[in-house]
Parts: sequence; structure tokens; C-alpha cells
Amino acid sequence: MTVALQASGLSKRYGDVVALDDVSLEIHAGEIHCLFGENGAGKSTLSGCLYGYVQPDSGELAIDVKPVKLRSPAEALRFGIGMIHQHFKLVGRLSVIENVLVGAGGRGLFLDTKTARRRLAELCSDYGVELSPDAIVEELPVGLQQWVEIIKVLFLGVRILILDEPTAVLTPQESDRLMAALERMRDAGMAIVLISHKLREVMRSDRVTVLRAGKLVASLRTAETSPEELSVLMVGRKVSPSYDHNREAPGEIVLDLNDVYVNGERGHRVLDGLSIQVRSHEIVGLAGVAGNGQRELFETIMRVRPLEAGRISIDGKDVTASSTRDVIDLGVGHIPDDRYLQGLIGSFTIADNIVLGRHHDCAFRKGPFLDRKAISSFATDRMSEYRVAARDSAARVDRLSGGNAQKVILARELQRSTSLLLANQPTRGLDVGVIDYVYRQLLAKKSEGFGILLASEELDDLMTLCDRIAVIHRGKIVGVVEPAATTPQHLGLMMAGQAIPGGDARAH
Amino acid sequence: MRIKLEQRHASSLLWQGMSYGLAILAGFAATAVLLKLSSADVSTAFAALLRGAFGSQRAVLRTLVDATPLILTGLAALVVFRARIWSIGQEGQVYAGAMGAYWVASSLPDAPLFVVGPLAMAGAILGGATMSGIAAVLRNRYEVNEIFSTVMLNYIVVYLLSWLLSGGPWTEAGTTVAYHQTPLLAQSAWLPQLSGPLHAGLLIAIAAAISVHLLLERTSAGYDMRALGANQTALRFMGMDVPRIVLVTMLLSGALAGLAGGVELLGVQHRLKADYLFGLGYGGIIVAMVGGLRPAGTVAVAILFGGLSSGAVDMRIQSGVPDSLIQAMQGTILLFVLCGTALARYRLTWSSAK
Repeated sequence: MTVALQASGLSKRYGDVVALDDVSLEIHAGEIHCLFGENGAGKSTLSGCLYGYVQPDSGELAIDVKPVKLRSPAEALRFGIGMIHQHFKLVGRLSVIENVLVGAGGRGLFLDTKTARRRLAELCSDYGVELSPDAIVEELPVGLQQWVEIIKVLFLGVRILILDEPTAVLTPQESDRLMAALERMRDAGMAIVLISHKLREVMRSDRVTVLRAGKLVASLRTAETSPEELSVLMVGRKVSPSYDHNREAPGEIVLDLNDVYVNGERGHRVLDGLSIQVRSHEIVGLAGVAGNGQRELFETIMRVRPLEAGRISIDGKDVTASSTRDVIDLGVGHIPDDRYLQGLIGSFTIADNIVLGRHHDCAFRKGPFLDRKAISSFATDRMSEYRVAARDSAARVDRLSGGNAQKVILARELQRSTSLLLANQPTRGLDVGVIDYVYRQLLAKKSEGFGILLASEELDDLMTLCDRIAVIHRGKIVGVVEPAATTPQHLGLMMAGQAIPGGDARAH
Repeated sequence: MRIKLEQRHASSLLWQGMSYGLAILAGFAATAVLLKLSSADVSTAFAALLRGAFGSQRAVLRTLVDATPLILTGLAALVVFRARIWSIGQEGQVYAGAMGAYWVASSLPDAPLFVVGPLAMAGAILGGATMSGIAAVLRNRYEVNEIFSTVMLNYIVVYLLSWLLSGGPWTEAGTTVAYHQTPLLAQSAWLPQLSGPLHAGLLIAIAAAISVHLLLERTSAGYDMRALGANQTALRFMGMDVPRIVLVTMLLSGALAGLAGGVELLGVQHRLKADYLFGLGYGGIIVAMVGGLRPAGTVAVAILFGGLSSGAVDMRIQSGVPDSLIQAMQGTILLFVLCGTALARYRLTWSSAK
């Protein structure tokens, strides 16, 4: 088997942080090579080095055994290396064929669309994708937009394709289709580098390289390893996911949304007659492909986003006309999906973030002045209670790892909420240890009698934690199932918009 | 050869200070080129500038007099910019502040200083805060971008004053209309002199700088303003009343700029004339930016710029360089400081292409 891309001794530091530490690996043609590891393990830095947008401090790259230096993605593309990012680099207003040609760069003044259309049609039929060349990209579903991105790169004739967590935005069915297509590319002799932290996908690769804290821990043939071994290698210790599920009978209704209509920024419907109820002692899951109204639903409950029609009540109190402050005062905690946008002030200290929103309380003030001593001692207590690992409460929040930043949010929101918890993607980007911690915190709150609305793109989260799972599609609940009575495949069909008769999110 | 900008991960305070010093030096160097181009003798001109700014006790006092309104307008810009509110209405607020102070002082010609002084300053604060308050309400209620509203309000105030002074009710009686000024205020309304030309306005400005520092760093209201600048979305999600914070911040900024107008009126000019106030507001924006949006830095830069404008007079007399060159110099210093902040945050890397 021929070595397509070889890296030897790659190291990269960012300030005090070692992102990559002497990593060497070989990518073979005709192989799907998975880079596996927790967030912050160095997967992105490594792929950045391979694609030329991160310059390693030391180490060498060789393509087809010839040493090369990649100084930019443009150079990488010239050497036949392409990359699919998590955030697509497409021009939404342009058509599929135009986007493909933008990548190809025209020769002369006029775009040669005739040949391009033929190539496009060939590529589509090769991989079984139905893509109309004249469709406007922003009107396509996310799964197809990703295909535009892939075909754009294939069009340039790349031999090495790097994909950064490509299935994060896909339904299980779309993910399967993508994996099958990647296998066909492999069989055609391409080298595929797949970055992932999902074991299910990793197990479909040919070779897996495990990274931990910037170091290469192991490079194995996938057929000779097991999910158990890989997860131990990834975190460096054994994790035993077993959770006490207190299946008490749900109590009072704490959150009640009734026929809610909400519009987005461009005036289009984002919540389209959505109804859902959450009772105390209950975790209700919200499953759905990203962008189907999850974020807007949370914003609406927090009363940050105006309603067109419908009614919301919390703890039996109508909050349709209330302010965000009223909702918080009713004892609602909110764990937002975008931590640094909605949940934290990055340039502020941990202490300031823990009292954020309560900094006018008498407990934290002396006259008009902030009581620094009271704030930092309160924050230090919360940090030890919620196991935030940082030098002290005066450390800036944007210097924390994702897991510790999330714990700062938990410390604030869990500590002061009393009845209802809204958690949107609470495990996003976290490593296994922190995910386990978040799970236990949510279950503890449930047994205290909280009602919890939990949205997650990780079906594992929902299957493990929830009493009921509501599936959201295009701003509507298309069905409600119990985890024990469903499968990821079944959920996937519902997430893709296939309504299940009798689906209704109301508590029965 | 390829040159690339790379982000620095830790920029030390020393490096930041050095890049600021370098930027100011570069500003002087660029000005030297301008001087050369206007065929003046560079060393004579700079020597005169320096002497006029800091060369004698009298020069220092004059520098401090020129720095006083710039400290206040600098603080006004600092407060809004720290909250990421892009109000550039300080110019109009200075005018409105001076008008408010003049209106109060001229209505009380016989009152003693301890009555008319505080009342006139209150008038100045009210004048400035009214202007910025209008912009805040327009932003909160109708989502009018504050950049546009404050620029437009600047024009309105400047022309309002120009009408008042050229044939309007405040025109000095008995003179030709061409002077465009009010009569002198009664001496009882003048701010007390500290030493030579230096008046009590400097104390007001220093007290304001200390207060702004304490407000921003130590109080819960200051927390709101800094948080607004750092992450408005998070504030909204925490149930904070963002429009109210915007309003309070802008009122404070307008009050400070208005105070600058009042201090300049009662401390230096003692009569209202548009020329006397021109550029104080825009100068404050530069002062605040070069001062790193910190009160101490703002005071230091205001004194530097005050020195430049008081030294400009000597420079003109001794080397015939027009003093408008000083404004060009202040502008170049700002440009270099902006480059300097980039230098403090990024580094240039060279690599030779094969």
C-alpha cells in the first residue's frame, strides 16, 4: 500500500499550550484514516498542519515520499489535498455549479460551464447524489450543502481528502450515506482522513490514530481494536457509564408551550405552532438536526425572542408577556448551546461570570461598589462545588478549556435555578469525563424535582438521560417517543421529517 | 520572501508600552517629514514646540489649560467606547454643554460664584446629556445607529449655536454681526484661577477621571457598561436591561462632554463663540483611543496633546509653520498608535520562499 502523505515529528505550541507534540503518522492511499480524540487533543491542529493553514514549529511533511512545505491551503490543494470544514465555505446565493467553479478558478474571462456540468453530473452519479447544478446553495438542506462542498473539492482532483467532523450536522441516515460514499472514494484509491469523536464512525474506518493532549497515543488497524479499547486510549482511563435513573412519576407541569409561532431574523417562520410540556421530575429530550428551531425555542422560552402567537407558562404562571428577568426570577436556569456567545463574557474573570446577572444583588454590593471580597469567596465556593479547574476565581474565562467554561455556566445556572432547567447541547465539544459530569448533574437536578428540557445532537445523550424524546423538525414537534421504545434509526427518520402518526409532545 | 501576521498569544505590558512609545515617536518623525516638505527648519520648529509646551512654568500651565477640556471629552469617548457604543457626538455635546452653562450663567448675572458656578456646571451637564440622551432613545426605541444620529446631532447643535450668535437672541449687542459671539459673562461666573492662566476646571477634570476609573472598575453600574462592551448577547440572556444600560452610559458620556464645554466657557473664554469650542469633541475621541481607553492613559495623552496645541503657537511664531500642522500631527499619531496596537497583538514573521 502506498504512502500518500507522511508527517514526521510535527510539533506546535500556542503560547504555553503544547497543541501537538512530536506527532508522526502515515496516510495511505486507499484507506480511511480516522483521527480520534477528545476536544483539545490536537486533532484540529494536526489536520491544520496537513492542510497548510497551521504552520508546525518543527517537523516535516512528505507527499508521495517527496518532502514538501505547505504554507497555505492553496498550496495544499495544488498537491492534491482537500479539506471539508465543519463550517462550509460556500457562497449561499450562488448556484451549485457556480460554487464548484468558484473553487476551480476560471481560465480566461469566461467560465467553461459546459464541461463543468458534465463533470458535475459524472461525480454526482458516481456517488449517488442528486444535486441539480442550478439549485441555489442556501436553499439546499445542510446534508446536500455538504455534498456541494465535497464535490467542489473532488472537482479539483484531490487525492487526499480531510473531513473535520463531517457528520455533526447530519441525520443518522445522511451520515450512513456519507460513510458509504467515503468508502467508494477509498476504493477508487483516494486517501481519506476523517476527524471524529464518534465511535460508531471510527469503527467503519481502516486505520485509527488516537491523539491525547497533543501526543499520538496509538495508531491501530481498526479491525484489530474495539470501541472499548479506543475509548480507554482516548481518555487514558476507563470510564464506566452507568447512571442511576430515578424513574419517579412526573409531577406538576413546570413548562408549558402551547401552539407557539415565532419568526426568525429574516421574517421566516422558525417555530411553527410548536407545543411541548415538561413536568417536574422529568427530562424531556429534544432531538433534531441542527437548525430546525432548537436555538430559537430556547431563546423564546427565555423571552429573548418575541412570539408571534401562542402561549408560554412556567410553573403555572403565564410568561408570554414577561421579560427575561421575570423568567430567571421564576427559577429557570439556561445552559445555552453557544457558551461564549450567550452564556459567558470571555474577557471577564470566573468570579464575575459566576455572579453575572446577580451583580446588583445586595449580597455582592456595598453601596454602589461591588463587594469584591464577597464575590470572590462566593465564586471560590462554587468553583470547588462544581469542580472548575483554574488557578483562582480571578482567571479569565476565555482562557479556560471548553469543559471548565461549561462548568462555570453550570455553577451559575444550577446554583440559582429552582424549578426548570433548559439545556441546549450541554455536552457539545466536551470530553468524555466532563460529559459524564454533566449527565450526573442533570440527573441530580431531576431527582431534586426539576423539570429539564434537553436538546442534543448526540442521540446518546438523549437515549441515556431522557424520560421522553420529542423530535423537532422545521419548528414543529413531529413526534414524541420513549427512549426504551425507539432506536437511533427510527429517531433519524423522524428527524428527517417523517411524521409518526399520533405524535404529540403533551404529557400523557 | 513572504511576510505574514501572526497573532501573539501573550502580549506583555512592557511590549504594549513600547509599541505606544514607538507610535508616538513615529508620529513625530512623520511630522518632521511634513515640516521638511513645507521647507521649515525641523529642529527650530520642534524646539519651539517643545519650549512652548513644557519649556517654562507658564508654558506648562498653558498646556494644562489646553488639556483640561480634552481630558473631559476623552473620558466622554472612553465611557461609550468601552461599552462598544459608537457615539461620536462629543463635539455637539461640548457645544450643547457650553450653551447650557452660558444660559444659566447669563440668567444669573448678580449671583455669587458658589451659586452660579455649580448651577452653570449643572446646565453644562444637562446640555451634553440631552444630546446624548436623544441618540440613546433613538437607538433603544427605533434602532437608529448611534453613529448616524450623533453625527447629525452634531450638525444640528453647531448650526443652532451659529444661529443664536449671528442675529439670534444671544448676539452681542452693539457689535457688528460678524463677530458671532455673546457678550462676556459677569466676572462672578468665572471659574477661580489656580495659578496664572490655570483655572479650577483642571480639578474638575481630574476628579472626573478618578470617578470614571472607580465607576468602571469598582461599581456594579460600571460592570454593566464593561459587560455591554464585552458581550451584549450574554447580558440579554442574563435578563439585564440592555437599553437602560445604553441610556445610562450615553447620558454619562454626554454629561462629561457637556462639562468640557462648560469648563472651557467659564474657565477660559468667558463668552460663547463657536471657534473656541471647535474640535474639542473630535480631539477627545483621538485622546481616548491613544490613551488605550483607560482614564489614566486618557489624562496623560490629553496633557501631551494639550502641549502640542499650546506649543503650536510658539512654533508658528518662531518658524512660521501654520498651527494646523499640529492637527495633522495628532492625526498621524493616532494612525501610528492604531498600527501600534496591531503590533502589540500580532507579530510579523518572515520566511523565504523556495
